[in-house]
Amino acid sequence: MHDQGGRRMARRKLERDTQPELVTYSDQEPSAFASMLGGLIEANVRGNPAKLGDFERLVARVGIFVTDIDEGVTLDFKGGRLVVHNGLEPARTITIRAEAETVMNLSNLKIGPLGMPVYFDQVGRGVALKLLRGRLKIDGLIPNVMTVNAVTRVFSVQ
Amino acid sequence: MMPVKAFSDEWASAFKDEVNRSATYKSAAKGWKWTVGLVVEAEPDKNFPESRGIVMDLFDGEARDIKVGPAADAQKCDFVITAPYSRWKEVATKQLDATRGMLQGKLKLKGDLPTIVRYTKASQEMTECTTRVAVAWPDGN
Repeated sequence: MHDQGGRRMARRKLERDTQPELVTYSDQEPSAFASMLGGLIEANVRGNPAKLGDFERLVARVGIFVTDIDEGVTLDFKGGRLVVHNGLEPARTITIRAEAETVMNLSNLKIGPLGMPVYFDQVGRGVALKLLRGRLKIDGLIPNVMTVNAVTRVFSVQ
Repeated sequence: MMPVKAFSDEWASAFKDEVNRSATYKSAAKGWKWTVGLVVEAEPDKNFPESRGIVMDLFDGEARDIKVGPAADAQKCDFVITAPYSRWKEVATKQLDATRGMLQGKLKLKGDLPTIVRYTKASQEMTECTTRVAVAWPDGN
């Protein structure tokens, strides 16, 4: 008797193993924060063709520093590949500095028409208010608004 | 309120009541349909000699059941959060914020990340609920 279930499982495993590697880590032991952001972006991109499109176009070095745990990562987007570094690496395009809760809220921003993050719902208003009050800082925002929007789309779980 | 023994059946029941009393949780967890397991790792020197598992059957803003049992049961859930006893005590006594704890790797999370991130507010409120249960800790308060 053929074990069709087993064969299906094997095929699924093979498909998973042959999927291109989208996210890699530069450090032998990625920090919990690095693993979480890398894992989140990978799951987002693999699960959503629009996000995959953004990911394939995105070339930028993005720093994220969580002020209340004093920990940061650098997300080096290389047009279809992401290298995650523990800590802030030099030559970043943008750097986001915020508390842990705000970083989580950034990943909950809804994406509206034309791929713009929505700032008028409850989560969006909270993020905008943090930005206005200086509790969320984005270095390099003005010359890189489009990059910030693309990063937000890739990062958002909504 | 009389304190209940940490991670006992009485604690599970009091925790479930707190979750179901929370209007914030009810609205933030709308659409949630996965089981959550909390693994509390043993720390014999803290008078917590055996690991325990808390299995939470959460559905659409309601805690249908919360049970304490072997750690292996909790590890079978859709989402599993693991930490040693003293870390959970820090969370329940508001010395450690659960979101920060996860980002720092003090609480280890297993499960679909986008889903758990989508329900950040619900998980924060659930943590708040644990802080509202009066607990008698095995290593003293």
